[in-house]
Amino acid sequence: MTSNPPKTDDMGAWTERVFPTSLAEIRGTERDVLTRLRELAYDEDHLFAVRLSLEEALVNAMRHGNHFDPNRSVRVWYRISPDRVEIRVADEGTGFDPGGVPDPTADENLDKPCGRGIMLMRCYMDKVEFSPRGNEVFMVKHR
Amino acid sequence: MKIETRTEFDCQIIAIRGSADVNASAFLREALLAIIEGGMTRLICDLTETDFIGSDALGVLITAYLKATGRNGFVKLANPQSHLTEVLETTRLNRLFDVYPDVSSALASA
Repeated sequence: MTSNPPKTDDMGAWTERVFPTSLAEIRGTERDVLTRLRELAYDEDHLFAVRLSLEEALVNAMRHGNHFDPNRSVRVWYRISPDRVEIRVADEGTGFDPGGVPDPTADENLDKPCGRGIMLMRCYMDKVEFSPRGNEVFMVKHR
Repeated sequence: MKIETRTEFDCQIIAIRGSADVNASAFLREALLAIIEGGMTRLICDLTETDFIGSDALGVLITAYLKATGRNGFVKLANPQSHLTEVLETTRLNRLFDVYPDVSSALASA
């Protein structure tokens, strides 16, 4: 994994989790993040938005980034303040062009079973940025 | 996530309870496709107690929809709560699925 840990600033230190590519690993990270959000009294709308976006980012990293190779890892950093949530997810894939993903809300794509993850992340988070290589996503949700 | 099924008239009602997250979507796929493969193609998914849905589970509902409609059946959605309603609107899947406020009105439309 070549991704560098994000820098610490006024938001404080990042919590880091690294785990093998396995969908079963997702719930632990979701549980930790949601627990912290509840401790800070974030409302249910924020909890739903962050859970959905985190799950989509992790699934994308495992499916499209690491191609479900259990020998590849997914790395997650998150930090949560009373004002906002920041999450970074990195995989060990070759990356992709997020601009090349078809619009899943177009009439001709409505019956496609796949391809909604990035759109949901963009709709439910306030900021979604991909690294130039496309194997890392950074998301922010304000309170 | 738990799934409970029952038959009313000639429709299969599938109550999806809890979180339809990525880890539950395989179970949901297996359950819905088994119903359709078994010959029941008129499905109503009762979302009253579904508190979460991710894109994987949405894909399962779409796959079931395509298989059911391909056999002259349907998949209707009943009583999604506010977060699920928002997801259906955001993805525009409320244009693909017929969505009803409760199971009774979904049954009445069948």
